[in-house]
Amino acid sequence: MDITHSQHGSVRIIELKGRMDAVTAPLFDKAFAEAATPDASDFVIQLNGLEYISSAGLRSILMVAKQVKARSGRLILTGLTDEVREVFHLSGFHTILRICDTKEAALAELA
Amino acid sequence: MIRVEHLCKRFGDLMVLKDINAEIRRGQVISIIGPSGTGKSTFLRCLNLLDQPSGGRIEIDGEDILAPKANVPALRRRMGTVFQSFNLFSHLTVLENLTIGPIRLLGKPPAQAATTGLELLRMVGLAEKAHSLPDEISGGQKQRVAIARCLSMEPEIILIDEPISALDPTMVSEVLAVIRRLARQGMTMAIVTHEMEFARDVSTRVFYLDEGLIYEEGPPERIFDHPQRQRDRDFIGKVRSLSYHVTTADYDPYALVGKIEGFCEKHLIPHRIAHAAQLLAEEVLGVLLTPLAPPRAVPTGQIVASSALAGTASTGPPLTVKVTASPAPSGPTHPDIELVLAFSEKQRSLEPRLDGAGPPGNPLETANLPDDFALNLIRHYAADIGYERVGERNRLRMRVQSIAGREAVAPIPLVRQCGAGLGGGHELDSATDGDPTEPDRFGRLARRTPATGMTPHQRLSS
Repeated sequence: MDITHSQHGSVRIIELKGRMDAVTAPLFDKAFAEAATPDASDFVIQLNGLEYISSAGLRSILMVAKQVKARSGRLILTGLTDEVREVFHLSGFHTILRICDTKEAALAELA
Repeated sequence: MIRVEHLCKRFGDLMVLKDINAEIRRGQVISIIGPSGTGKSTFLRCLNLLDQPSGGRIEIDGEDILAPKANVPALRRRMGTVFQSFNLFSHLTVLENLTIGPIRLLGKPPAQAATTGLELLRMVGLAEKAHSLPDEISGGQKQRVAIARCLSMEPEIILIDEPISALDPTMVSEVLAVIRRLARQGMTMAIVTHEMEFARDVSTRVFYLDEGLIYEEGPPERIFDHPQRQRDRDFIGKVRSLSYHVTTADYDPYALVGKIEGFCEKHLIPHRIAHAAQLLAEEVLGVLLTPLAPPRAVPTGQIVASSALAGTASTGPPLTVKVTASPAPSGPTHPDIELVLAFSEKQRSLEPRLDGAGPPGNPLETANLPDDFALNLIRHYAADIGYERVGERNRLRMRVQSIAGREAVAPIPLVRQCGAGLGGGHELDSATDGDPTEPDRFGRLARRTPATGMTPHQRLSS
């Protein structure tokens, strides 16, 4: 899984590409820990290039969501591929996480 | 007519036939099917002693042909053999190929042998080729001549070894038509074949040979429509399979993913089904390996998500997710799991099968999982999940859901997936876990206790 960080104003953007499974989910945990500096509260996780997510990935995203909530921040996921959207839908994630179609829409919402 | 008892045949250290027991009665047509290399042709060659059996007994009409004083040439003349490579004499004409045996071995007058030979050639549709050399006729015609030559020796049974395997597909039907005609005429035959439809049509009984045994036998309707055992089901269903052996919790998932992707591409399996197969492989292996490699620890009772995370007003009661208690890991220290991905070309279905050593019990019920995410993904992406205990091993099998089947399944509220009925999620506790008297898709009942009427998960979280 490829993970890249960027920043747009105060919003931290993490982009994930490839597979988020039992092996790579810890890499995402680590990447988030690096991005979540004390002054960061709002996050966008871009999933346009994420082709696969398993239960391990779901757990990681839930943990991240919890950490964002703990710092009174906001988290938006964007660009879900069909495969990831299906897993989110089956797991009920679409009901508890904010999801936008595009990064631009997410940034506009967080502005 | 022919009785075979405990027949075995060894080539050096290789035991090809282990223990064959069979009976062929007069007028029966026996098709011998099975994977390549399982001894089908060797079985035929043992019957007519082209290969000397290593042990056992073969009786023809009560006479033991393996007895030291047996008249093997006479017994062998009662059995004709048709080989896959024809074995015609290339320097003799077609008719001479049919007359040489009756003249020299049966003592028939040449004119009578020629008359009979021509009749037989007429029967197989090749009278006009009587004076051609074998090299001047096609493969299908050669095989028909070989069948006619076999008949010229007036055998009581014909052994036919893959009669069309050396033929161009365009010539198959002409040879099978001749064999079908012989079957209708009541000729006793034992036919090794890979042509399943032919075997179904022509046979009175079918022997499925595998692992050096007659693994299953019966009338063609039963063998082809209701095979009893997994190996013959796979063979008859034209199942292609991929195997992956997991011996460590740190198995290489990318090697497995690569194999699954390659397998699915090779068999033109749609991407979404291949994706589901990958997901099922990871999730089910994860469940089976959980006692050996517990997932990352999440403190029990910790709230990890709620609808407030979305930052928007929820349309319903707030959802809360809580991780349930995860018992201490236990189980074998060295995993031994065989993952097989079986693709049936006939039914266009893909089946993940997992066979693992371990204590009795369906791993999908007994694994110490921190939540139900994995189980719910398995339940949504798989259909017909079955469990059986075989020896010291647990076997799970399932079928990858068709896309339509997956979409037909409604999502399950998250609060239930995590096994909790906490805080704002209480109202969802009343959501049905399914009829407790009906088994769920893992073949298990919702195990409500008599005292509380609650499922184990509800009890853990209350």
